[in-house]
Amino acid sequence: MDDYLIGVLSNIGIISFVALSSYLLLLTGEISFGQQAFFAIGAYASGIATALWGWPLAAALAWGAATGGGAALLVGIPTLRLHGIYFAIATLAFAEMVRILFELFRYQILIDGELTGPNGVEGFRNIRYIFDNNIDALQFLLLTYGLLAAALLKFMLLERSRIGVIFRMIGEDETLAGLQGVSVARHKILAAGIAGALAGIGGGLYAHLTTYVEPRIFDVMLGVHSLAYGLIGGLGTALGPLLGVLIDIGLLESVRSLAGYRMIIFGGLVALLLIVRPRGLLDERVVHRIGDFWRQAFPQARRSRSDP
Amino acid sequence: MRFTAKTMAAVAMLALCSLDSAYAQVRARADISCKPAHQTLQYDCVIKLIDSGTNEPLSGLTLTVGADMPSMAGAHNVRPVAATEDSGKGTYRVRIALEMRGDWALQLNLSGSIRDRVVKVLRFEDDLVGEAVPAQKPGLHRH
Amino acid sequence: MIDLIQNTIDGMMIGSSYGLLALGFTLIFGLMRRLNLSYGPSIMIGGYLGTVFFLQYAAGPLVVAGAVVAGAVIAGIYVEMLCFAPMKAGAGIASMVSSFAIWMQLEQAAILVLPRHTYPFPALATGAPLQLGPFLIRVDHLIMLLCGLGLAAAVQLILYRTRFGLGLRAIIGNSIAAHLVGINVRMAVLFAFAGASAIGGIAGFLVLATDQQITPMFGMWATLKGLIAMMIGGLGSIPGAVLGGLLLGVAEAHSQWYFGPQIRDLVTYFILFAFLVMRPGGLLGSAPEAAMTQKA
Repeated sequence: MDDYLIGVLSNIGIISFVALSSYLLLLTGEISFGQQAFFAIGAYASGIATALWGWPLAAALAWGAATGGGAALLVGIPTLRLHGIYFAIATLAFAEMVRILFELFRYQILIDGELTGPNGVEGFRNIRYIFDNNIDALQFLLLTYGLLAAALLKFMLLERSRIGVIFRMIGEDETLAGLQGVSVARHKILAAGIAGALAGIGGGLYAHLTTYVEPRIFDVMLGVHSLAYGLIGGLGTALGPLLGVLIDIGLLESVRSLAGYRMIIFGGLVALLLIVRPRGLLDERVVHRIGDFWRQAFPQARRSRSDP
Repeated sequence: MRFTAKTMAAVAMLALCSLDSAYAQVRARADISCKPAHQTLQYDCVIKLIDSGTNEPLSGLTLTVGADMPSMAGAHNVRPVAATEDSGKGTYRVRIALEMRGDWALQLNLSGSIRDRVVKVLRFEDDLVGEAVPAQKPGLHRH
Repeated sequence: MIDLIQNTIDGMMIGSSYGLLALGFTLIFGLMRRLNLSYGPSIMIGGYLGTVFFLQYAAGPLVVAGAVVAGAVIAGIYVEMLCFAPMKAGAGIASMVSSFAIWMQLEQAAILVLPRHTYPFPALATGAPLQLGPFLIRVDHLIMLLCGLGLAAAVQLILYRTRFGLGLRAIIGNSIAAHLVGINVRMAVLFAFAGASAIGGIAGFLVLATDQQITPMFGMWATLKGLIAMMIGGLGSIPGAVLGGLLLGVAEAHSQWYFGPQIRDLVTYFILFAFLVMRPGGLLGSAPEAAMTQKA
């Protein structure tokens, strides 16, 4: 496998984190245009941790997740009362503010005789961890997918657990969920925090894969894309957003011959798909059908069913 | 299931920790100049690689040049092309084919005796290639 | 002091174009309760068509304006028929994401036809700015302000004094009931969409003629400005759209003067965020509670 293909696969894995982040919020019924902000915060935080403070990668990624999650709580609490388009635009405004703040953010230290660190609009270069520690492309790919697999497993567990059901309840009808005794506010904040942390991990991985980030990367496009992935791939399961990422980046990479028309084709395909499948390919109905088929084919029930 | 998730995460973390062995690496600096080639959206670039510590030219390395657009990361990836070295003096030449005009972040991937990556953002137009100015949205004009 | 007033004047002028953009946005949103992310890009298509007329046929400003409006309307109808018309009632996010996909499509189509980073656009009015005491007023800015206010008044008139407007307001109130009383909802929505695109086209033409250039970033820029102005002024309110636009313009002018373009954008988004958190209905908006219970 050549390095380029490994790079593309790593990219798919990393973008999946942001896609999962948007997906989690969609489950609770909220559209967020702003998850790219936590992606950015995670990227910068982890990059600073390894390049400027000399932390090991594991600690840096955890730090990225923590800052991403923390920032998400910071914005999640004042926006609790907002819904629908109001919430969406608020997240957009927040994300753009974060991006502009990174354009103004300067934090440089002299390391090995060279100024290293975020430098405003020019971005953050020389996040050299993988070079300084001899991590090759394949190892990084395995790391990315290891973390992604762990995240996916958590999602699968979540879907069957009480919290997951509550999330979907809130997504369906918030008032009704509240009437059932569910603490809506607490769960929405929880979802926001987890989503922010997910995006933060993705950001940390991204910064170390490309060794270079700049504020321009974390613009509205990224946010709407991550939202779109969940919607294309399907909102019935956590694999949906991953499918969306795969379709987008996979398609983008493979249809090279039509390079100049890629967006035109892809945009048209997405629009047509959404007409017939407003909740994506793997929407709730499809997932239930697959689940029923599975149960019929393998009648011995698994022990991990949660209580009704 | 919960157990499996935790073990996988733990294994990933352990793998990470075992990869920690920081030692100072040679750092490269690059001087790049690109000119449009005769075909549209193709550019010839001359790259000088220098050891940033000793200021000596770095020769004998394998250099591949990739490109990505900062404003849409990952969407316009250009497959890395191998550069050829000019008679062993640290100067490398490469021809790259881009998908659009505009700002591109060139990724110079070094391998061989040194592993490194240098990134430089340039603006590629039809007639010249220059320093990238961060995109300004159309704004108010002062009198 | 002079700077303060001069900036306010400048801001209000540019703000009137933001108000027009917001106007188009608010019409579509009020009608369909859905966000059209392709609004700016469809105006940009109009702008590119105008540039083509300008470059190929050396057309004058009026012809170019016509081309811009025509292009915007055509693109707008395309978006409506692909992203909004076929969607079932509950598929709000789907149509929004669909409009985003078409945004990408339109942007790439524009870049394919006109690949350079920037293209010249004809000026609206050359010549020295007018002098009003110690203040300078650019002629094209003045035209922008007059057009903006005039169009807003025209739309308000149409909505509240014509049968067509009555039909639209009925649809906004309850589209099923409107259908039952014999209003052709489909046609009315299509017309309103075209009208909103035309308004956007005029706004786009005014901005581009003042800037005298067009870039591929224009689509996203127009969408964002229209969105922010609409939110500040209040969804579904026409005077609100104008007011929001003017306020946005003034805030931008002052921030840019004292702090530069980055802080200007920061202030813009901060104002938006603050409004949303504290007063989601905007200044003059109607029924924030209804929007509060909107499902995603």
